[in-house]
Formats: sequence, structure tokens, C-alpha cells
Amino acid sequence: MIENGVAIDDSFAEAFPMKATRLVITAHNLTWALNAAVSATGFATSVIACGCEAGIERELSADETPDGRPGVSVLIFSMSGKELAKQVERRVGQCVLTCPTTAVFAGIAEGEAIALGKNLRFFGDGWQISKVINGVRYWRIPVMDGEFVAQETTAVVKCVGGGNLLLLCRDTDAALAVSEAAVAAMKALPNVIMPFPGGVVRSGSKVGSKYATLSASTNDAFCPSLYGLVAKSEITPETRCVMEIVIDGLTEADVGAAMRAGMLAGIALGAAGGLLRISAGNYGGKLGPFHFHLRKLLAAGAPT
Amino acid sequence: MSGWRLTLRQPPAVRVDLRSVLPAALAGLSAAQIEQLPVGHGNVLVPLGEFFTIEANEKDDALVFEGDLSRFDRVGWQMAGGCITVDGPAGHYAGGCMSGGELRVKGHVGLLAACEMAGGQLTVEGDAGDFAASTLPGSVDGMRGGTLIVKGNAGERFGDRMRRGTALVFGNVGDFAASRMVAGSIGIGGQAGAHVGYGMRRGSVVFTAAAPTIATTFVPALVEVQVFWQLLAKDLARHGGPFARLPSRAIERHLGDLASDGRGELIVAR
Repeated sequence: MIENGVAIDDSFAEAFPMKATRLVITAHNLTWALNAAVSATGFATSVIACGCEAGIERELSADETPDGRPGVSVLIFSMSGKELAKQVERRVGQCVLTCPTTAVFAGIAEGEAIALGKNLRFFGDGWQISKVINGVRYWRIPVMDGEFVAQETTAVVKCVGGGNLLLLCRDTDAALAVSEAAVAAMKALPNVIMPFPGGVVRSGSKVGSKYATLSASTNDAFCPSLYGLVAKSEITPETRCVMEIVIDGLTEADVGAAMRAGMLAGIALGAAGGLLRISAGNYGGKLGPFHFHLRKLLAAGAPT
Repeated sequence: MSGWRLTLRQPPAVRVDLRSVLPAALAGLSAAQIEQLPVGHGNVLVPLGEFFTIEANEKDDALVFEGDLSRFDRVGWQMAGGCITVDGPAGHYAGGCMSGGELRVKGHVGLLAACEMAGGQLTVEGDAGDFAASTLPGSVDGMRGGTLIVKGNAGERFGDRMRRGTALVFGNVGDFAASRMVAGSIGIGGQAGAHVGYGMRRGSVVFTAAAPTIATTFVPALVEVQVFWQLLAKDLARHGGPFARLPSRAIERHLGDLASDGRGELIVAR
């Protein structure tokens, strides 16, 4: 299958069930809401060592937030509800509570509740005040710029993590341009984040390693520096730079829609823009229950 | 399920206790059975049919009382669900200890309306007597959830010992409003009497019309609490009347009562 000179592999991305929550962080202005959100979603590229995968979903205008101030919605994904609760507490406690003028609210109402302000309230040293407004409990914690307001709990939902695209490009300039365009198209969609730096990961991995202690190692088949050295390489003299985009979403449909939007953005640049082939990472289909077939995704939205 | 319309025959000689006449208790009964329900009348039990004519109301699920019920106490007492409308005034303890459902009284209510209320909503179109949204005599906690709306005026000790929920008065309140308040939200659309917030520990009392006389055991707050105020103001604005414009109004706060815990606040909208 060739689209605008781009070969679409007959392959699929394999994704896994995860647990997620959405937080709404507001502040006196968007700058400070972003400062808190960027900090709270920092060092959250992969669950392998970060404990969670997190990112900014979108910016919110004043009329979209509970307190009528500008805000940012943030999605946090983890492998279990327990780990997610731990990450939310640490990140909100260290990065939102500390950030000037912020407040934090649950961005998802339905689902199992985990603590948001429930334990952070003890920072108030007895001066904290609980307030139930329209059935929702908030905590008001005195801080040096006034008070930090945090909703007591946020809800956890089942979600999908690990959707991905491999973009095989002509060279570094093309690979960056294509992946930036794909990430921008995906960011326009709700309910998804691309957790890696700038949404893009260059160190795609394969399962296993020659070292017994490592469960994953560099995806040598896609490493241009190993062209001609490894037994089976996906690299050709034309495709010398590969980028991967990893997508976590609240539902299977959200991840599929984001992958499709990313593919279409890449195809729009096409072979002329340096994108020669789109593939996806999987483990033979045995590990993850969610399979995103690239050709089916493209066909699903095609005009009939 | 259909509702019932109970029309008062004539005012009773002594006070009647309507605590057993709730939508849940009437569900599944016939008109004849409802007429036989015993209700307290002075120191004897009398069938409900002595006081009311009873007819099924197919159009509406609500239990509707028609007539002057000012001698009928405990309308909606411990109600957990359903809907009661009183097309006229009601007696004491209206909506007392209710935990759910909706009670609407189109006239005045007597003493202790919504006392120890835990959920649901009581709307009084007229005035409420003393000790509305407060506690039963001897009990530690007053109103602990739900919503009380008084569209007229309320008497003294409004919200005494209240610890959760929302209680709003569109008109004036008597002395000692929010006295010994533990937490919760009170809104006052008119004038308040003396000793507002006497002994209050926590909780928020919002004044939309006029600043009350504030005791010296309250201190002016230096800090704006814009986030909290928007959350509270938007919630109160749903009830309309003097509260409708609250989210767009600036506020002044006084913190106290320092004679107690001191974490309560009197909020005056400017």
C-alpha cells in the first residue's frame, strides 16, 4: 500500500491496558498553569523507570475550568491504580501545590476515586479547611500566596497505552519535520498524550537483550548505524533516520484516531517531504490485547 | 407509581404529627389504606382520613397537601426520597432529619425547619421560624447535608450548630444566625440580626445585601480567595434571587469566631 509515495506496512501497533486520570490545573494566568503542568508531567516518558507516563492534553480557557481561571488539562497513565495514586500524590504535592497561584481539580468524574488533595491537606498543619460544594469536597490549604485549593479525589479509568507509529524517513531533517507534523496533528485531538520529549522517541526498543538483566534493548533492526552489520535490518540506503511516536489514550478509539491523524499528517508531507515508510511496533500480537492495524486505520476514515 | 393529593377538610383542634406520611410509606397503598394510616393528634392516634380527603393524582408522582397545614408538624420528617408539596403553610419540624428527596412548602413554616437535615432539598416559599437548619434540642450537630432555601425571612438561630450543606435565606434573618456553626455554607440575601456567627468554628456565611454588625472576635482577612469564592459563588448562583450575580462580585471576608476555632468566615459581597 503506497500513499503519496509513502509505503504503509501491513503491520499493527500493539497496546496495553493501563490506568489513567485527568487533572485540571488552573492558575492566575496560563503561564503559571503551564509552569505547574509542565513540572507535574516532567520525567514521565515511560512507565519503565518514571512510574507513569504523563503529558499535557490541552490548554483550557477560563470558561472551561471550575474556578473560572485559565488552566491546563493533564493526563497521567500508569500500569496500576495503586502506582497511579502514588504518582498523582507525589507530582501534585511537589509540582502543583508548590507552584504559585495554582489550584487542582479532577478532570474525570466517573471511576474509582484516588486521593488528590485528600492527603496533601495535612500540609496545612491543622489550618486546612474542608469545603463540600454541590456534593464535591475540596480542601483549602493555607500557603504563602493565599490558599491552595485541591479537590479531595480524582477518578481512575481503564485506558490504553503504547499505541505507536514508526516513521522511516530519508534523513534527520525530514524525520524531525515529519514527526513534528504528526505530533501536532495528534495534539489537536482530545484524550491522548504523546509522553516522550516533544512527543517523539528515537530510542525505540525491542523485547529482550543479550544481557539477561535487561528486558528491552535498542531496536537494532531500525538503527541506521547498524545497517549492514545486523542480520536483518529494516534500514535501506534511502531510509536513514527513524522516529517513533508513542500514544497513550483514554480509549482504544482515541488511540486509533490519534494514530490515524499522525499517519495522515505524515502522508501529507509524503515522499517529497522525506517520509518513505510507516510501520508500527508489536510483539507478535501475544502481549497486548489492543491491535491497531495501520492499513485498517487509514481505510476506516477514507471516503467511500 | 402515581402521586396523591390530600386536601385538608378543616383545621384540627390540636397539633397533628405527619411524620408517617411519606411518599415511600404511601407507595403501593390504596386510597382506603391511606385513609386508615394512623397519625398523632394530641395524645391519641387518629386515621389520616379524619383530616384529609385523599385522591390519586395520576399526572404527578408527588405527594401534595392542600390547605393550611400550620397545625401539622413533621411534614417530610426523615424523608429519604420522593417529592412532597405543601400548597400552603406547614407547621414545625418541616423537613426535619430528611436525607433525600424534595419538599416544597408554598407558605410559611414553623420552628426547626430542616433541623438536622442530611440530604435532599427543602424549599420554603414563605418565612421560616426560629432554629431553621439547626439542631434538635440537646443534639450536638445541626444540619449536616442537603439544601434549605427560604425565599422569605427566617427567625433567630438560623443554622445553629450546622456542620455541612447549604442553607439560604433570600430575605432577612434574626439574631444569632450561624451561631456555633461547625461548617457548611449559609447565604443571607437581606439584613442579619445581632451576633452573627457567634461561636462559629468553621463554615462560610455569605451576605449579598448588607454587611452585618461584626463582632470584635472576628478579624478582617488580608488574602483574596478567588478560587474558593468562584466555586462557592457559582454553586449559590444556581439558586437565583439575591445570589444570582455572586460570581461577578468582589468580596470582603472576616475570619473567626476567635472565641472558638476561628476558621469560619463571614463573606460580604460588595
